[in-house]
Order: sequence, then C-alpha cells, then structure tokens
Amino acid sequence: MPKRRDILAIVLIVLPWTLLITVWHQSAIAPLLAIRKDDGVEGKREAGGQAQDSKEYCASDKDIVEVVRTEYVYMRPPPWSDVLPTIHIITPTYSRPVQKAELTRLANTFLHVPNLHWILVEDSQRRTPLVTRLLRETGLNYTHLNVETPRNYKLRGDTRDPRIPRGTMQRNLALRWLRETFNANSSQAGIVYFADDDNTYSLELFEEMRSTRKVSVWPVAFVGGLRYESPKVNAAGKVYGWKTVFDPHRPFAIDMAGFAINLRLILFKPQAYFKLRGVKGGYQESSLLRELVTLNDLEPKAANCTKILVWHTRTEKPVLVNEGKKGFTDPNVEI
Amino acid sequence: MATRMKLKLKTVFVLYFMVSLLGLVYALMQLGQRCDCTEHDLPKDRTISRLRGELHRLQEQMRKSEATKQPQKHAVKPSPPTIFVITPTYSRLVQKAELTRMSQTFLHVPQLHWIVVEDSPHKTPLVSDLLVKSGLAYTHLHMPTAKDRKLQEGDPSWLKPRGVEQRNEGLRWLREDRRAQPGGESQQGVVYFADDDNTYSLQIFEEMRSTQRVSVWPVGLVGGMKYERPVVEGGKVVRFHTGWRPSRPFPMDMAGFAVSLKVVLANPEACFDGEAPMGFLESSFLQGLVTMDELEPKADNCSKVLVWHTRTEKPKMKKMGEDNEKAGRGKEPVLVHFPVREDEDDQVLIRDKKRGREEEGEEERRMKREQEEGMKVVKRTTMKNYRKVRENRQK
Repeated sequence: MPKRRDILAIVLIVLPWTLLITVWHQSAIAPLLAIRKDDGVEGKREAGGQAQDSKEYCASDKDIVEVVRTEYVYMRPPPWSDVLPTIHIITPTYSRPVQKAELTRLANTFLHVPNLHWILVEDSQRRTPLVTRLLRETGLNYTHLNVETPRNYKLRGDTRDPRIPRGTMQRNLALRWLRETFNANSSQAGIVYFADDDNTYSLELFEEMRSTRKVSVWPVAFVGGLRYESPKVNAAGKVYGWKTVFDPHRPFAIDMAGFAINLRLILFKPQAYFKLRGVKGGYQESSLLRELVTLNDLEPKAANCTKILVWHTRTEKPVLVNEGKKGFTDPNVEI
Repeated sequence: MATRMKLKLKTVFVLYFMVSLLGLVYALMQLGQRCDCTEHDLPKDRTISRLRGELHRLQEQMRKSEATKQPQKHAVKPSPPTIFVITPTYSRLVQKAELTRMSQTFLHVPQLHWIVVEDSPHKTPLVSDLLVKSGLAYTHLHMPTAKDRKLQEGDPSWLKPRGVEQRNEGLRWLREDRRAQPGGESQQGVVYFADDDNTYSLQIFEEMRSTQRVSVWPVGLVGGMKYERPVVEGGKVVRFHTGWRPSRPFPMDMAGFAVSLKVVLANPEACFDGEAPMGFLESSFLQGLVTMDELEPKADNCSKVLVWHTRTEKPKMKKMGEDNEKAGRGKEPVLVHFPVREDEDDQVLIRDKKRGREEEGEEERRMKREQEEGMKVVKRTTMKNYRKVRENRQK
C-alpha cells in the first residue's frame, strides 16, 4: 500500500513538470525553426523578442518578405496578387532640380513592393512631361494627378493667414480621387500611405502596413529634432502617448510617414481631409487623423514600435552657382 | 516516528505539488498572451498559408515564363559581365538609410557585386546586418582613414578628399580576388565607384556594362551646375562641359565614369591619390589608364543624365540631443521650438532661381546676396590654395 502511495506521489510531482516542459519546448522551438529555415542570422536577432506572439508573427512576416525580395529580383514590378491588399501610396511632388532623382530612387524602391499603386500628385498647373515620362518608364501601377497650390496665400508677415503646409492640397486631391474611384461597399482591400519623395523606406515597412485594420503607426527616424520619434506603447499593445520632444501633447504627434490608414476607413469618413489653413506647425497629421480614429484604435507596428523602418531623410539643395544668370547648361537636357 | 515522518513527507509532497501547479499556471499565463490571440491566430495562419500558396503559384508562373525565354537566351548570350560597385561609407546618422535605398536600387541590376568599404577600424554590425539582409552579392571591407586626412566637425565637405583609402582598398581586394581565380572569364567585368548618397537610375548600369576600357557619361547636379558632361563629336570625347576648372585632365565626377576590370587588373599600380588637389581625385586615377580620345561615351552620346550627385542633409538634432546621440544615449533634451522652414547648414545654399515662387521676398534676397558673396570668397580661397599646391608641386 505505501508503495502505491509513493508511486502516486511521484506521478503527481512529475506530471506537471513534464507538461510544462513539453508545452514550453513546443512554443519556444516552433518560431525558431521557422526563422532558421529561411535565414540563420535573423533567428539570432529575433531570439530576444518579448511576446511570443509577435515573434512568431514577425517570423512568418520575415518569411514572406525575404522570399519576395530575393525571388523577385530583376522582375519588375512583381506580379499582381489577388490576395494581398493594395497599398495606395500618395506622394506630392513639385518641380525642382532634384525632383527627377528623388522620384527615380523612390520608383526603384517601389518596384520591389507587390500590389502597389502609386498616386503621384504634382504641385503644378499641368502635368509635366518629366513626371509623365518617368512614370511610364518605371512600369509601376500609377495614377498621375496635379493641383497647383495658389501662390497668393503666401503673404509676407501675414501671421493670421500663414501659408498652406506643403503638399496639403495635393494629398487632399489624392484622397478625393480615392473616394471617387472606390466604392465604399466594394470589397477591394487597400491601405493608404502618405510617402514624401525625399524619405527613405525599407521594404519591410510595406509588409508591416499591409495588415492595417484602421490606422497603424510606427517610429520614424530624423524627425522632431531627434534620432527618431515613436508612439508610446503599453504592455497591452496599445498606444497611449508619443515619445517626442516637440509638443508631445498633440493629438497625434507623428510624422506623415509614420502612419497608414485602411482604405475602408477613408471611404467610410468621406469628410476627413487635411486642414488647409490655420494649422499650427506639426499639427497637420492630427488634423486628418482626429477625424478618423482615436488613440485607442491605433495599431502599433514594427515590433511594437521598436524598429525603425522609415527615415525622414532630406536632400540638400544642389549648389547651382555656375549656372549663372543665363544658364550655362543646355536647358533641353532633362535632369 | 513513522507517522511524523509520513506527515512531514506528505506536507513536502503537497508543497511540491502546489509549487509545480503554480509554476505551470504561471507558464500558461505567459503563453496566455498567445492564447489571447488564438482567435486571431487561426485566421492569421490561414491567411499566411493562403498567401504562401499564392506566392508559390506566382513563382511557378515566373519560372515557366523564364523557362520559355531562357533556351533562346542561352543560345545567344553568355553571362553578362559583372559590375563591381565600390562604395566607401562611414558612420553617421543617415548611413543606414543611404545604404538601404542604394541596395534597393542594386537589387534590380543583374550580375552586380557590391563592394562596401567602411571608414572604420573594424566592420560595424549595422553594415554587416544590412548587407546580409539585402539579398545582394557583396563583399564587406573596412579601411580607416588616417586622422589628419579626416574631415572634422564643421569642415566643409570639399576641404579634404573623402573615400580615397576606402576606394583603394576596394581596388586592392578586387585585384587580389581576381588574381586568385585563374582563367580569362574572371577578367570580364566593369568597376564603378558609387558613393552612398548619389542617385542611380537602372539604365546607367546597363550603359556601363559594355565598357571596353573607360566609359563616361553626364552626371546631374554637380560642379555647381545642373549637370556636367563630356562633349562628344564624331563618337569621341573632345572636351568636357563643366563650370569648374575645365583644364583638369579629367574634369568629371566619380560617378561619371566606369573602368573595365581588364584595365584595372592590367594596371596594378593605378589608385586614387589622396594628395591630389581638390577636384583632381578622379584624374589622379584615370591619368595612367587612358587618354581622352580612348574614352567611350555612353548615355546616348552623353546627352542623357542617368545619375545624379545628390547629397543628403544632415538631420537636425537638438543641441543636447546631439551630444547624447554621440554618446549613444537618448535623453530628452530641452524643448526648443522646431522651425518649420528648412535651415541653412555650414554649406552655402543658393536657391534655384526657378523656384522663385517660394517664400519671403526681401529677406530672401539679402540672404541670397550674402550667400553669393560667401561662395565667391570660397572660390577665391580654393583657387589660392590650388595655386599654392601647384607651386609646391612644381618645386
């Protein structure tokens, strides 16, 4: 009899531990396997992840991104998929010497992203041949729009009516185009992202934003006078504030490149636009986002807003001293 | 005694059991985060497997289309010559961004080998990881610049030549690597020096692939002009259209020429001279390799601009933030009102006249005048320096 009791005691002790070990083992190994299958190096970096869930999600995400990038080399643009939601990228642009260079390298980036629709809006009276030709040659799926920002809004010293922040009218035109083109009831999944033509985007960013349900956010480098600005994310994975120095009490203290909106939300709220006038510096993004979503609904991406996937780079204005008054170089050569 | 023992054992067992149970519960709570999303996980998994299936289908399509094309291609062409791109790079805030967008461009170019040479005493993990993830064929080297040859904080960018040691290191590695591989095949290739802040179109790489000795083309936004280019008459380069020192042997930018691998290997002593006066760096390399009439003009007889000498602004950091950034910390600096306008740097910026529609009138004009004066002074001092160096050299 004591023997049986002993056995029972031993079983009762050993059972929970075996359960624990098997479950733990399973959960720890599976994502690591997935990572190692593709790229051993990635596994090393991701092994320090906090939530198991995000680790696994990141792993499968990396799965797809890695494959897409290396398989679709030299094949541009990637074939259209019926499954992936389309990313509509709205880029305002204006004529200046570096415009063609900026758009060229932006196109080189976009050519890697599947199911991308580039909405390029020029700040000009007419669509310029430079941009028209460039868009055609890239082979991307694009829409070319234009609207000119009126010059008379820039009155010297008129603080009551400061100029319209650059690109506002162009972005609003693109939003209007989307609302006119896509029916609110249609099932076409889409994400809207505002990409300025001088920033730098990693390819991972586009895959992160594809899963946006309402509005997703992530950190942006080189904005607000900091190395990067980022949303503050709590342990429950919700955004509760903004890690910025410049006015962190804005409703949405985030740069234009730091968020993406689901197309359905844009169509659902057809009155939401960027405010044209009377917008304080840094409040432009808030002027649109506060009509669409609350802080609670924001989805943090980029590993709970810990990775930098987009850089707010700015291109120097080229020194064109030697052009002189009459222009030294042949104006017919396009740059 | 026996009962006490038993009791003691019993309590021990019970305690042990409770502890293990608590441990199991705790572990399940930890994994409980996963459990929270199991309602999401299943559809997520389904989406992922559906996407993977889609991906495989598309890849099959691609392979089929490639297979139908390939037999013809194979009959006609051997593998195209590899383009060896030598990029010197150094640590600064925008380094990762610059290398990222460069790699995104290079991914479109077949048969490209990226040689990245860091200005650093050892390879940095930032660059190593970036190169691994890029999916490109690459070689990662490093070569620190001597302290007295390095630009200090606040120096204008043209004060000392940059990237000299790094480019020479790239050349050295290339020569060594090719020597180790016997056979005429290994001599096929083109060497191009690509700085990490320029902008390259995809066409330039196809243009340079057919280089026999040294090929040249226009470069945009350089030399104080919209573009600099070689002037071509009768299919040959007769002179160079540049606004600055056109009397240089090869008055062009680093991004405006490519050298065939054969020539690089045949002239093992040819490298960049760090002592060369400003603007003569390219000439110091090309002088021993080729003469002007041997140059091959590309880009439609040098009439199209396919590469731009863009430069990236140094990101504005708040003062305290900058010091902390150097120390690697991320402390919150003093609140400073962040101006909306673009700011001037050490560099002299002169606004493009075509962009007259922008901004403030008189203040603008005053600033412009000051800047033009400043630029004239700069030109004067550099010409003085150049003359001095020329004299010293002649002595």
